[in-house]
Amino acid sequence: MNRRVLLVGSLIVVPLLVFLALSFGKDPRAIESPLIDAPAPGFALFDLDGQPVDLAELRGQPVMINFWATWCQPCIVEHPALQAAARRYEGRAHFIGIVYQDDAALIRSFIASRGGWGRTLLDPDGETAIAFGVYGAPETFFIDADGTVVRKVTGAMGIDFVSGIIEGLL
Amino acid sequence: MATLGQLCVLAGLLICAVGTPIAFAAGASRSARGLVWSRRLALAFAGAMLAANLVMEYALITHDFSVSYVAQVGSLATPWHITVVSLWSSLEGSILFWGLVLGGFTAALVLLQRRGHEDYLAYTIGTLLATGLFFSFLIAGPANPFQAISPVPTDGPGPNPLLQNHILMIIHPPMLYLGYVGMSVPFAMAVAALLRGQLGATWLKPLRNWLMVPIGFLTLGIMLGGWWSYEVLGWGGYWAWDPVENASFLPWLTGIAALHSAVVQQRRGTLKAWTVILIMVTFLLTILGTFLTRSGVVNSVHSFTQSPIGPLFLSFLGITLIGVVVLLAMRIDTLVSEPAEDAIVAREGAFLINNLLLVTLTFTVLIGTLFPIIAEAVRGVKVSVGEPYFNRMAVPVFFGLLLMMGIGPALPWGRASREELRRALLRPLPAALAGGVLAAFVFSFDWQILLTGALAGYALWVTLDQGIRPARARARGGESVPRALGSSLTRSPRRTGAYLVHLGVIVTFAAIAASSAFQTASEGTLAPGEELLVGDYRLVFEGAEHERQPHREVEKAVVRVERGGRQLAILEPSLNQYDTQREPIMTPAVRTSLGHDLYLTLGGVGDDGRAGLRAILTPAVVWIWIGVLVMVAGTALCLIEPRTARSRAAATAAEAATP
Repeated sequence: MNRRVLLVGSLIVVPLLVFLALSFGKDPRAIESPLIDAPAPGFALFDLDGQPVDLAELRGQPVMINFWATWCQPCIVEHPALQAAARRYEGRAHFIGIVYQDDAALIRSFIASRGGWGRTLLDPDGETAIAFGVYGAPETFFIDADGTVVRKVTGAMGIDFVSGIIEGLL
Repeated sequence: MATLGQLCVLAGLLICAVGTPIAFAAGASRSARGLVWSRRLALAFAGAMLAANLVMEYALITHDFSVSYVAQVGSLATPWHITVVSLWSSLEGSILFWGLVLGGFTAALVLLQRRGHEDYLAYTIGTLLATGLFFSFLIAGPANPFQAISPVPTDGPGPNPLLQNHILMIIHPPMLYLGYVGMSVPFAMAVAALLRGQLGATWLKPLRNWLMVPIGFLTLGIMLGGWWSYEVLGWGGYWAWDPVENASFLPWLTGIAALHSAVVQQRRGTLKAWTVILIMVTFLLTILGTFLTRSGVVNSVHSFTQSPIGPLFLSFLGITLIGVVVLLAMRIDTLVSEPAEDAIVAREGAFLINNLLLVTLTFTVLIGTLFPIIAEAVRGVKVSVGEPYFNRMAVPVFFGLLLMMGIGPALPWGRASREELRRALLRPLPAALAGGVLAAFVFSFDWQILLTGALAGYALWVTLDQGIRPARARARGGESVPRALGSSLTRSPRRTGAYLVHLGVIVTFAAIAASSAFQTASEGTLAPGEELLVGDYRLVFEGAEHERQPHREVEKAVVRVERGGRQLAILEPSLNQYDTQREPIMTPAVRTSLGHDLYLTLGGVGDDGRAGLRAILTPAVVWIWIGVLVMVAGTALCLIEPRTARSRAAATAAEAATP
């Protein structure tokens, strides 16, 4: 009996099996957010032009915050819908994109080729994403005029879907 | 029909239940009669699986909706050839197909290893039948595709539209299954070696071949998956480090490592334990990968939804994992390496570093894939690991692998003098310089591109130099050049094949580097007659067409492609709306050339006839597929018996036959 092999093998195998077993019955896609009906975590970030944006100053209008990245396929899919929504509600709601685990240069060239929407903020250390409990991209938070999170959406959205939520907040 | 299918599956289950203990007992007692029976039962298992699959095919083709799986994936409107392949389009069917492939591999092993190896064969068959026991149990019970449905529906929803959308989806899954399931054979052979307590040169040779076969299929399967995703999903890429992609990549990495370790063992008699452990890990990773994709525990674009087989798969994985650890702990010390006469230097060292790199990459990708599960279990938080993590971790390892592919084969086996080493390593340097300069000239002065070019140039020179060395020696000996090339192919196919594989890897690496570093994209919403510019292409939108096909609506944009005022092609990217599905599926139109691909997708057509078009120019994509095909061709070449060995074997057989 080679004890070393047994020890190393067990150290790998047992935790692996425990983790896999624990993960049953949890849908990786169903994510409840404790933020719903709570005040949105505040942030003050810089946009791509270096202008500061403070969430607190956006009170008074509904805010959509979308975490996205250029490497994320659903983000690319929903990009036109968000552009359309941002145009439709210009001046009545704020549309904020927050860069999630991505490079500012890639984001810039993406926006240069496809056009942007709203304001795109850089979150260099991912602190805001952590504060919002972001699990993956895209994730979108809708915040009412008083700064309370009312809805969280995981995955790509269509224009009608976004409009439906924004209309309810106006 | 449902009952007949059930009976075939139950027969398979029974055969495995009986055959497993018989084969292991035959192995332990070295009984010749027991081995004969194990062989028969293995063939019977293959027969039962074949019959069950044929019954299912018959039910699918005749639209027998009383069979649950047909009711789930069949549809009267589906074209005939799609109906045939919908066997593996959904969970239950794919497990049934898995059974067929396992049966096929078991039968092939029994039929091809007819002579010799009596010491090992019974244990090998026993292990394969034990695996078969699990899968036929799955098919018979929890993932039963043969449930009788009543009342019988008149029509079904049809298979997943992605399957119907492209030919590659038809051949990609079976290739992947052949790779996955095929890993059971080297695993079973390694188990036999451990139980027997020896892994000699005679067993190593078939082991290496049986390892190479699934690696070849896996290579092809992974490539076809990437190609499919590129041609069908419409995002312009071919690899996204999705958990399911990672699941197929992990056993590939360890399989390659095992193969290289086997080569060292064959040459030097060392690294025996490495070979065995790597083979076992490879098999375990195929099971882990299947579990991850079938159980719904990871978030992936491909994964099947939650299914009842998850816990069973986990139990199987658990039993196998624990079994392997215990078996290794008990028996690994019996696999003593033959004492190496000198320290590990030169080529063995390069092989070892290569294996460490592959194992490191395996661990990194595995951790990245499992991290969301671990984080949730430990801290109760949901996290995702994105593409940037994998790219950051993988790129340095790729550089390392490319470097070793250049250095390794340049080095001599065994001990080498300092002077020899210096000469072997310095000679290809001009090729590295040329590669770097070429890459910088064609692309840009980015250091990663320069490094890729230089390493690829170095490795390419060494590969070609080593690959044609036998032919050159023959040509120098007086043979004509074509004849020398031909006879070096038939006399040392393994050597030529191995370097052909390396050539393919170098081409693929370089193409991946170029295609991921330099993409140009452009997009716009165009009215008919308007144009979009990308690179030096002019794309003129001629108009949209709408077509109603039996099972789908097709919205198509007709785009004229021009360059330098000359019309090159008409491309027709489309959006397909299947009747049974909610979301439309994008089908890009791709114009492939040796230099770059023009990739066109249609986002949608508005009521005013304006179309949202997106064009991407990606360099060198086609070389990825070409490189992989070269790898697969090289793998196939490696499996050919050398001419001399073959005639010698025939002579020995003839000698044995004469009294």
